[in-house]
Amino acid sequence: MITKLTKMLGVAAFASVALLSSARAADMATVKVGVLHDLSGTMAISETSLRDILLFTFDEINAKGGVLGKKIVPVIVDPGSDWPTFAVKSKQLLEVDKVAVVFGCWTSVSRKSALPVFEKDNGLLFYPVQYEGEEESQNVAYTAEAVNQQAIPAVDYFIAQGKKKFYLIGTDYVYPQTTNLVLLEYLLSKKVPLANIGGGFVKDSSGKITNAGKYTPFGHKDYQQIIAEIKDFAASGDACVISTLNGDTNPPFFKEYAAAGLTADTCPVVSYSIAEDEFRSLPAKDLVGQIGCWTYFQSIDTPANKKFLADFQAWLKTTNAEGVVKEGRVVDSPMVLSYDGVYLWKACVEKAGSFDVDKVRAAWKSGVSFMGPGGKVTTQPNMHLTKTVYIGESKADGQFKILKTFPDVFGEPHLKGTFK
Amino acid sequence: MAWKSFLRSLPWVIIATVGCLTGPRAKAAQETARATIVRAILAPDAAQKLEIISSLAGQGDEAIRELFTAWRQDGLFLYAPADGAKIPVELTGDKDAQGAQTAVRADNGEVLKTAAGQPLRLVGSELVAVEHDARLRLAMRNVVDLLDLGSPLLAKRLRAIQTLGAAQKPDKLPVLLARAQVETEADAKLALRQAIALIELADPSDELKLKGLAELRLLHSSASYDLIKAARAKAQADGKSGIAKAADLAMGAIEQHRSVVNFFGTLFRGLSAGSILLVVALGLAITFGLMGVINMAHGEMITVGAYATYLTQKVFGDGVNFTLPFIKFAIHLPGLHLTGWAYQCYFVVAIPVGFLGAALVGIALERSVIRFLYRRPLESLLATFGVSLILQQMFKLTFGSNNVNVDSPVYLSSNWTIFDITFAWNRVFVIGFAAVIVFGVWLALTKTPLGLLIRCVMQNRMMAACMGVRTERVNMLTFALGSGLAGLAGVFVTQLGTVGPSMGQEYIVDSFMTVVVGGVGSIFGTVVSALGIGLADQSLQQILLNPVLGKILVLVSIILFLQWRPTGLFAARSRSLD
Amino acid sequence: MSPPSASLSFFRSRHLEFATVAVCLVLLTVIFPLLNARGLLSDYTITLWGEYLCYALLALSVDLLWGYTGLLSLGQALFFSLGGYMFGMYLMLQIGMLGSYAKAGQNPAGLPDFMVFLGHTFLPPFWRPFQSFGFAVAMVFLLPGFLALVFGFLAFRSRIKGVYFSILTQALTYGAALMFFRNDFTMGGNNGFTDFKFILGHSLVDKGVGSATMRGLFIASALVLLLVSLGCYWLNGTKFGLVRQAIRDGENRVLFSGYATAHYKLFVFVVAAMIAGVGGALFVPQAGIINPDQMTPAKSIEAVVWVAVGGRGTLIGPIIGAISINALRSWATQAYPDSWLIILGIIFLVVVLFLPGGIVSLPAKIMAWRSRRQPPAPPLEAAKPVPDRP
Repeated sequence: MITKLTKMLGVAAFASVALLSSARAADMATVKVGVLHDLSGTMAISETSLRDILLFTFDEINAKGGVLGKKIVPVIVDPGSDWPTFAVKSKQLLEVDKVAVVFGCWTSVSRKSALPVFEKDNGLLFYPVQYEGEEESQNVAYTAEAVNQQAIPAVDYFIAQGKKKFYLIGTDYVYPQTTNLVLLEYLLSKKVPLANIGGGFVKDSSGKITNAGKYTPFGHKDYQQIIAEIKDFAASGDACVISTLNGDTNPPFFKEYAAAGLTADTCPVVSYSIAEDEFRSLPAKDLVGQIGCWTYFQSIDTPANKKFLADFQAWLKTTNAEGVVKEGRVVDSPMVLSYDGVYLWKACVEKAGSFDVDKVRAAWKSGVSFMGPGGKVTTQPNMHLTKTVYIGESKADGQFKILKTFPDVFGEPHLKGTFK
Repeated sequence: MAWKSFLRSLPWVIIATVGCLTGPRAKAAQETARATIVRAILAPDAAQKLEIISSLAGQGDEAIRELFTAWRQDGLFLYAPADGAKIPVELTGDKDAQGAQTAVRADNGEVLKTAAGQPLRLVGSELVAVEHDARLRLAMRNVVDLLDLGSPLLAKRLRAIQTLGAAQKPDKLPVLLARAQVETEADAKLALRQAIALIELADPSDELKLKGLAELRLLHSSASYDLIKAARAKAQADGKSGIAKAADLAMGAIEQHRSVVNFFGTLFRGLSAGSILLVVALGLAITFGLMGVINMAHGEMITVGAYATYLTQKVFGDGVNFTLPFIKFAIHLPGLHLTGWAYQCYFVVAIPVGFLGAALVGIALERSVIRFLYRRPLESLLATFGVSLILQQMFKLTFGSNNVNVDSPVYLSSNWTIFDITFAWNRVFVIGFAAVIVFGVWLALTKTPLGLLIRCVMQNRMMAACMGVRTERVNMLTFALGSGLAGLAGVFVTQLGTVGPSMGQEYIVDSFMTVVVGGVGSIFGTVVSALGIGLADQSLQQILLNPVLGKILVLVSIILFLQWRPTGLFAARSRSLD
Repeated sequence: MSPPSASLSFFRSRHLEFATVAVCLVLLTVIFPLLNARGLLSDYTITLWGEYLCYALLALSVDLLWGYTGLLSLGQALFFSLGGYMFGMYLMLQIGMLGSYAKAGQNPAGLPDFMVFLGHTFLPPFWRPFQSFGFAVAMVFLLPGFLALVFGFLAFRSRIKGVYFSILTQALTYGAALMFFRNDFTMGGNNGFTDFKFILGHSLVDKGVGSATMRGLFIASALVLLLVSLGCYWLNGTKFGLVRQAIRDGENRVLFSGYATAHYKLFVFVVAAMIAGVGGALFVPQAGIINPDQMTPAKSIEAVVWVAVGGRGTLIGPIIGAISINALRSWATQAYPDSWLIILGIIFLVVVLFLPGGIVSLPAKIMAWRSRRQPPAPPLEAAKPVPDRP
């Protein structure tokens, strides 16, 4: 009974929003799209923002007449940060709700869990978070940063700054492991001697390096020993740290780093997992001058970005969607890549003239462009995106000052073994 | 050799040079420092800028410091008058209503005037700030460092000396030698010796190289290791075995020194890790150890303390708004808008706030749930696990699912470096803090009337009740004490780790391990086991160079240890059977 | 306690209780696949229920230890995952040349993708025998069983019991999860095993064949559950079963009566680990993934909660608990994502404080309350597990 009532209320609320946002809503046909982000459990920290930006984008598109004249109706499911549930919920979206496309996943393991279902049912998943590469499924549109769109430009930047020693540290999962192996190959190809790459190596019985860098588990708290090692490593003054530590381990790492007297001037850190959203939980004053590298920063000074930010803030004020936090919101790269993803899907559907996954995929492969808040993004035949890469330096207010821009970087998922 | 003895024989000349470093140096034939900087600003590419900036090294003009500071802090702007070339200016003085400030020309330090002779006022946000990047900033710092060589502040002087040494530029040698003559501080003297030795190491002459290496061997500083290694590689390539041998000796000395530093560093780190475990587990030693409640919500009591610290910080700052979930009750805590030391004191205030907050939540928990479960310890595990899920979600709905930031007060965010071992203040503090609260708990349990009641009720509830002790009340207060201690731990861990709704989960397994190894019911056992586990963890990490393997090994040894002593280190002896 | 009402007396007979379980499971085994084959029941529902049945196996293993023997193990999720990993290794090797590296021609040795990923060029020796289905199935029993044997031997020999046993099993689980999270361990690290293609030559991914395979797995899960229930039913009737319950109710008295309680406990612990392992092995091909998150202490506690909610010390309770809580989760995470954990927490509290016998004791409670012949027992009195009458 209560469920029915709540459902009816929910439908009524949704309908009224839709009516407000678009006068034509009532007589528009609809198309269902799935949203597969964790709204509870450990990953809710990061993924709730993505759900919010997706709802904003759907409202924005619906207000302008929808996709092929059809209004987008989101089907939101919560896998609860439980990986097997990703497969279950994907099945539900594709087989029960029969959605046209799904936007979702954050962690690599969640993508790996959902992927077989998408391949079996020929669905299409838009994946927006920087990832390790080495994957090219025909059923995933990777709007995410590939390793060469994030990790490598930052290393180039450090080399140009005259840094000679590189300390690799990360959380022990696939993204840091692979990224560091790729970076190891890249650094060696740039004639950085092995002795100048810190963090340690693991070799297999044939002497081949299968693991480079220092790894700590999720939720690790005690960085004393590692910081002491970094301090010793950086004593000569020309070292930097390349960090793929994941969100939760960053506060203990940087608190220890600051307490040990290390600063961005003596030994800068580039963190691939810290964007504006993560900054809210970090002591920004201890991090001034540290480096970030993304395909979008909130501080990008273009009219398109300013309009996007203003529209999002205005939407936050008026929306009555359940569970959307309204105060102190920032925008970061994964959010913008989700936003770009929806528009690229729209563009592909319109180019194909159909919601059919095979036709949409063909349109994606033919190359479709969209002018997003972070600059132009163009789809590639390998299911990735060409986009602009920015290197920024953190400021005391948690924003990034953009230092360098690399326009139109081609997204290349397969990098291992390409640097000699 | 010849030029060196020449220098040695003319110390006065050199001292005069040093004097020049702080005084107005004879403005060399070419241009003033200001003019050089302007040239650097207007140079078309970064490489040229870098070269020009570096050429200023050794000059003593204070204008360099002023202009570079302004440049690095976005205080230099390019003013382009309608008619002429761009003029770099520095905006100084107070902003007026329009945000305009007085503009000072960078090239001569005079106020920029309009055609009519009036001082020109410009708005910073309308001008283009002069660009800089980390490499330029570093170069600027190096130049300023040379200025710093004569600084009265030891820290500045030290950094200047180290930078010069690491650069290994022979032309800087005279300056350093001169400084060595007048330096009185022991630390700076040591740094000077090292810098001089490093520069000698880079000298083409073998004799000087050997001398430098001998000195470096005596100094055994980590910072010189890479440079010595490079020198050794070069010597080997050139077939100079004597130098390679000397380099080996120097490197050996450094390695030996490193292992000593690591050993004592690990001891300290182990002690601090153990103290954190102790602080975190002490509350559980009371709720679980003494009372027998398998309190899976212990982690959430830590979270209460951490959020209490967060709120205290907000109240000392700008205030905070939040809404209690479900009842939609909005709470506004007004801010005191304090700054400086008054603000930094928030942490001191947070300590009692965290204790009381967690103690109150503990009382509520004890009255509503725990008191029904004293005879069913295994089921208290399930019930408190449920409580822990509810509390975590409540935190999430109240404070948001994002982690929050708690600033470190200045008195906890620096370090002492003694004998190359870093003693971070927050770590030193936690060791002292642990000692104080253990002492406090010991006092409370053994020297107060309440402590006596607690001990007797925990030993035998029935008998205590028969003797007229109000066991219900004692139970409640004991649980409040345990929860309050967890809250204290929460206050402290804000200085070390993440503050978020699920943070408590990260401490729960470790806390139980510590209490069980120490022996349930023995506070002293908890102290010993916490310090032991902390030391073992840090040493294994140091030996295996892998934090995860160390942790797994610690867990395995705990499991094996408990086979040997099933009731922990210091078990309460009892002849009773169920 | 005398049977207070007719409804409770139904389950007071353990023969009737088993009959109910058996009939329900047989019906499930027949009706669900038939409906699915006719297209009346979606593949989604079949897989979901298949997973519930695997969770029910896990719950039964917890109940065997906690409900019948009084050992609260927080390590059952570890045994469940170990079984899953053993079978997962077989499934990984069945992918062969269909993995994404092999398709791109970069994996001539046909290694699992995550190994190519980390630059391995040959299969680690301990992986090789898992090419064989028989070996993998044997390991599903042997590895959890062996670990339980070693751990149990050490623990019971030192007379570790009660809370200490719970906390030690929790430490074991935690340590194992940390181990499996490590990528060096060549068990897939955090990502675990995914992307399975074949089981015994039957495709798991094809549209038509795949759903037939899933039906097969569902039937297998239901039958295994039936078999395990039968085993438990039989065991409860033996002298062994009685000694076991006596250990639960007063171990020292049993010990003084001349029974080597450690041997009894060890046997039950090993059997329970194997049951959990089989559950895990059946779970993995249906869920499509196994990773170390499945073996964290929190998952073990969750399984204990299913048993508590369903009713421990009974055969039907754990099955009801596992299915109902998981179905509730499936619905609540979608309808009330914000309050789901609070709902779950409140269920814990209510069950522990007011309904120690779980859902299966609910009819009796209601009847007792209605007839007012006997007021509901106060929580403290009802602390002891519902006794099981032979």
